[in-house]
Amino acid sequence: MKPVRQPAGRLPVSMSVNGRPVELTVDARRLLVDVLREDLGLTGTHIGCEQGSCGACTVLVEGRPVRSCIMLGVQADGCDVTTVEGITPEDGLNPMQQAFREHHGLQCGFCTPGFLTTLAGVTADEYPDEESVRELLSGNLCRCTGYEGIVDAVMAAWGRDR
Amino acid sequence: MTSRPSHIGAHVARVEDDRLLSGGARFVADVSLPGMLDAAFYRSPLPHALIESVDTADAMGLPGVAGAFTADDMTDVSPFPDFDRNARPVAIFPLARGRVRYVGAPIAVVVAHDRYEAEDARDLVSAELEPLDPAVSVDEALAADAPLLYPEWPDNIVIQSAVTNPDAMAAFEGRTTVSGRYQVGRHAGVPMETRGVAAEYRDGRLTVWTSTQFPHIARTMLSYCLPLDETDIRVIAPDVGGGFGVKAEFYTEEVTIPWLAMRLGRPVRWIEDRREHLISACHARDLTLDLEAAVDGDGRFRAVRGMAIQDLGAAEMYPYGFSPAFAAVSQITGPYRIPHQSVGVIAVATNKTPCGAYRGFGIPEAVFAMERLMDKAADRLGIERREIRRRNLLGPDDLPYRTSSGAIVDSGSHRQAFEETARLTSESLDRWQARLAHDPHVRLGSGVVSYIEGVTPSYFATSGHWTSFDSCSVRMNPDGTAVVSVGVSTSGQGLESMLTSLAAEALGVGRDQVRIVMGDTDRTPYGLGSWGSRSTNVASGALREAADVVMDKATRIAAHLMEASPDDITVQDGRFSVRGTPGASVTWRDVATVANIRTIDLPEGVKPGMQATASYEPPGIEHHPDEFGRLNGCATYTNASHGAVVSVDVGTGKVRVLEYIVAHDCGTVINPQIVRGQVVGGIAQGIGGALLEKLHYDEWGNPMSTSFLDYHLPTATEIPNMVVRHFQSPAPAMPWGAKGSGEAGIIGPAPAIASAVEEALSDLGVAEITRTPITAPHVLSLVTSSVSAGRREERENSR
Ligand code: FES
Ligand code: FES
Repeated sequence: MKPVRQPAGRLPVSMSVNGRPVELTVDARRLLVDVLREDLGLTGTHIGCEQGSCGACTVLVEGRPVRSCIMLGVQADGCDVTTVEGITPEDGLNPMQQAFREHHGLQCGFCTPGFLTTLAGVTADEYPDEESVRELLSGNLCRCTGYEGIVDAVMAAWGRDR
Repeated sequence: MTSRPSHIGAHVARVEDDRLLSGGARFVADVSLPGMLDAAFYRSPLPHALIESVDTADAMGLPGVAGAFTADDMTDVSPFPDFDRNARPVAIFPLARGRVRYVGAPIAVVVAHDRYEAEDARDLVSAELEPLDPAVSVDEALAADAPLLYPEWPDNIVIQSAVTNPDAMAAFEGRTTVSGRYQVGRHAGVPMETRGVAAEYRDGRLTVWTSTQFPHIARTMLSYCLPLDETDIRVIAPDVGGGFGVKAEFYTEEVTIPWLAMRLGRPVRWIEDRREHLISACHARDLTLDLEAAVDGDGRFRAVRGMAIQDLGAAEMYPYGFSPAFAAVSQITGPYRIPHQSVGVIAVATNKTPCGAYRGFGIPEAVFAMERLMDKAADRLGIERREIRRRNLLGPDDLPYRTSSGAIVDSGSHRQAFEETARLTSESLDRWQARLAHDPHVRLGSGVVSYIEGVTPSYFATSGHWTSFDSCSVRMNPDGTAVVSVGVSTSGQGLESMLTSLAAEALGVGRDQVRIVMGDTDRTPYGLGSWGSRSTNVASGALREAADVVMDKATRIAAHLMEASPDDITVQDGRFSVRGTPGASVTWRDVATVANIRTIDLPEGVKPGMQATASYEPPGIEHHPDEFGRLNGCATYTNASHGAVVSVDVGTGKVRVLEYIVAHDCGTVINPQIVRGQVVGGIAQGIGGALLEKLHYDEWGNPMSTSFLDYHLPTATEIPNMVVRHFQSPAPAMPWGAKGSGEAGIIGPAPAIASAVEEALSDLGVAEITRTPITAPHVLSLVTSSVSAGRREERENSR
């Protein structure tokens, strides 16, 4: 018989998700993305690779973009976590979301929450021109748009001409 | 009912965007049902082996495991029918029976309380596999002593059509010939959402959620494989995160997961991981075209002949992975007047993941070969590369034109699009040359190519079973809003928005009064789904017919209510008026209320209700090729010319696309933003395939590209800015004159970039670029060998 991998025990986690306090007990090996999607029902965060390379699972942890497929749920203990649901206003869309809609920055929309959270975690000044914007976006893969609409949307939302 | 403002061609926001932007969309992985179990597959670690035994006892011993199964357990499951009588039968079965033919073939499945436990248990499955020699390439598979993938066959050939067209052969006599062997590498659609299936069996009915491009075909296939009638199966394609043809295959997992739900009496879900995706979702391309042209001294092509050789992988894929090779042959002469062709097909089984569909479906391969041959002929005859195309391109006076491949080109802007692209590309090259003149390491070049693409195709050539129709049902609610349900379904193209505009147009209501229903076999009429750049055409054809029935009735009711003649009724923004009688009007709500509720107010002879269903088969499509493989397999043909401006770093071999130009004609443009998005997105995928993407295997048949670290998708830094020009030559036979735009973009990049790289390196005398991807090491090896060849020559000359 092959050796059975023994999953480590369950641990309590308390964090703030989209501004609401959350307390739960999770398996030590459980990925943050699964905690968010399966345990908390926040299915706007998507899984495109589980290898840390596509960016679809990006959420904000303490305001910084993080890949929730390569972070454990327990590592988010005590943290502020924000998902795409958390950056969406109660009514309507935020300015970046509106720019994506206006500039056709999405087709199937599977990658979109990852782009939006990545963008929500940075400031425009850090990326002064199109080249640096493309550099920023290059951490997220999109298979539909060819990135044109996404770059257009970012430039427009950040008040720049293209 | 004319002369009102039109929704066609208007810039309108997509109706699907709000839910996709806010995290409110529902993909298969978001389907959650009480008591749902997760499945994990044990897949073959070997490229070719006999299965001696499979032991699942240890897996079953883990807590949380509900079951572990192999093919032996699936006694009530039938293999996929083999429809195509010209191909050797492969009898695809959901789990491997007796033999595995590629790394990734599913051998066993384990179901547990959650995904983590399912994967733990899967890792405890052990199989006794007796390794067999693999055949990893076409050459190996065709060798006299090749290992046979299907021992009941005499060789590894799945299908072949040897074509000898005597007219084509005669055209070669006494003419200059140019030939080459052109290979488009193995890559795939790779949508960001992997495959996934969830299923529930309840009250004698099976409900299956699957990330598919064709829910009705999936349901029919399920009824062939499982002991259920179609009426007891409901297939739902929820939001689909990209398809690109990968999800226009019916996969074995789409049988296994529903079977498990029935067997276990619990809902079961399987969400593919990326490694699985790269080894078990269909691969594509891997097509070699041996092509030879007979050319007159002035550059006019007179005939082409040759062979399309498809490395099919293990062949366990349905619809058939060899179909793109036939599609390539049926459009090989492209937009050129080439009077004769004779091109055969051979598709060979190898021990790799089975090939299937990918956006473009054979046409990128055909165009790569044809355009490379054009460049070669031009160089050989000393004609400028753009000029040789001018001499062969179809002109307006040629149309309609039946190509020697069989395609009936009914309309188009072949020359205009070409000249526009050529001009813009030259200007772009000049700009970039000025900008990068200071850099000694890079050389610049440009290439311009031209092609047609058949859209709205016959599915018979692909499936051996289904043909080409689709359906639409229009239902007016009492409040005057419309429910429009269609057999096509979306995987992100914006189909909901397209059909919303067309329905609003046809029914005279506002866009916000239309609700499109798709992707659910219980709620939509039968249709073949979304692939082949067909959806807008087939759905709108059916929509137009259904809407005509509804509008005829509505007009009569409105006329009756206003005591006017039906001939004088007009409709706009949900309101019916009488021509020439200002002030007289009734709303769609009034009319639909009469039809649905107050039927006592109906005019005499008009029956209650306000709905109609219509099916539409696009005209002119042929389903069987003639003896020379010729076929007008598509309802109409788009055209485009692409221009690439590239820089090549001669020190590293790295190719950068600096700017990309496209002049594109897909007939009437219904939504300009969506069309541009399709074209640009397709080009980006085409650039990926041209420069980066390769599903690599080692010599023993082990897949080497199993993550995004070794399968390189283009990112925002590799995709250049694009210049897009639209021409609109409406398709005479299509509703609204539209031609599909979904696939065209992907076709041009490989030949345009190859041509541009050659131009950039022309003074080095590098060898011809004959295959993709054109990676940096490949370019570097061309440069190095040309440099060393040059040195050799110098040495020899100085001796
Ligand atoms: S799913 Fe996390 S990076 Fe791809
Ligand atoms: S919109 Fe489909 S992957 Fe980005």
